[in-house]
Amino acid sequence: MKKSYLLSIGILVFIAGSALQSQSTKPVAPAPTATVAPTASPDAAAESNIDPRSKALELAGAFTNDGFKIRDGYFTGTIDAKKPQIFALNLSAGNQYWFCVGAVPADQKLTVSVYDENGKKVDSEKYQDLSMAAAGIVAENSGRYFVYVALEDAPKAEAQKAEYSFLYTYK
Amino acid sequence: MADYRKLVLLLASLAGATVAFGALPASLTPAQMNAAIQTDTLTIPTPGEFFAAINKQGKPNWTTFIRKPVILATTSRPQLALELGTLVADGFIAVEAQDGQQVKNVGKDIISISKTLGISQDIINRGNTINDFAENNDWAGLNEELEATENEVKLTMAKQKDSDLVTLVTLGAWIRGVQTVSGIVDKSYTPESAKLLRQPAIIQYLLTMIDKLPPKLQENALVLRVKNDLKSTEAIVNTPFKDSVTAATVHQINDTMSKLVDAISKSEGGAAK
Repeated sequence: MKKSYLLSIGILVFIAGSALQSQSTKPVAPAPTATVAPTASPDAAAESNIDPRSKALELAGAFTNDGFKIRDGYFTGTIDAKKPQIFALNLSAGNQYWFCVGAVPADQKLTVSVYDENGKKVDSEKYQDLSMAAAGIVAENSGRYFVYVALEDAPKAEAQKAEYSFLYTYK
Repeated sequence: MADYRKLVLLLASLAGATVAFGALPASLTPAQMNAAIQTDTLTIPTPGEFFAAINKQGKPNWTTFIRKPVILATTSRPQLALELGTLVADGFIAVEAQDGQQVKNVGKDIISISKTLGISQDIINRGNTINDFAENNDWAGLNEELEATENEVKLTMAKQKDSDLVTLVTLGAWIRGVQTVSGIVDKSYTPESAKLLRQPAIIQYLLTMIDKLPPKLQENALVLRVKNDLKSTEAIVNTPFKDSVTAATVHQINDTMSKLVDAISKSEGGAAK
């Protein structure tokens, strides 16, 4: 009797764990944003979103000391814990990249990860300083890559949102 | 019995908590990849970014890729927008060649076409900055200024309800950039350098943008030609992710893009002046 209970417990824990594991590998997809019009320096948007972009630029600026060039284009929007944001970019083999995000308010902790054309996670260097985060890679192959931006510690930040800005540097 | 249930719930919630905190997916689903954000200013690499990669494969003689000045006699706005894009790429080529005078010439040509398109007001200041950077041989600054100029042109177009032309500027810059890089790779082929020309996702994105243009613009002969050439190029570069493209394919890409650049720069009723 006791043995069968223990077995049941084991199976239930395994099933529960697997289900949650499977949820965690399939986070909620970002709202379909389709193709967005050019976002570089739109005056009105830049005014209202100056802080997250300044933060992203501040972080990216640090990489320019190492010869990286900052792309003029950027993306500014809102992120919440339930909706990670994913960007599709086309990278060139041999180039080095740093993908930078900045967010307000300042206590929002972001993470940045990179995935290849097949959706597989790419090993990256990381920089993390609360509301500023970056991931760096050397593109081994040319093609489409995905940059995944998420608010960390999802359960705590469940009801919170942040304004964020994304841009990247290359050399 | 009730204790066992509590234990099950406790263990299950612990397992969940371990996974939920700080876990990032090991892979993305096709749905996530399809819904990824794409923007003209982030998704398409600048010619400068593209050229940075080819510079790692050797030392191209950039001077040989500088074009003779093009005086485009046309009133076709789609053609002017495409030509504007090719000029932006010419600016990046001049920067790679470290030819300050050529950068200034290209800057002047960009302003001239912008005037014809009625979008010169904001661009003139950019032209002055380009001249200043060129005077001081500030090549890194020029790289960023050229991209900023391209984006400013596109923003002005969008503000003036000419946003359909934005896609054509992007197309022109990409076509001239690919023509240049395929020319470099064609001269001294290596599988490693040819990897740079494997860009099916960019082509698919550009084709999607063309499909969103107003029907009248899509029927423009030059736009139709660009679309058809992009489709044929997409078919030959759509190799698996880690693969390169063959020498024959590189040659074919260069041939297609060179003819396209010529067509874009061809004046009404004759050859490029």
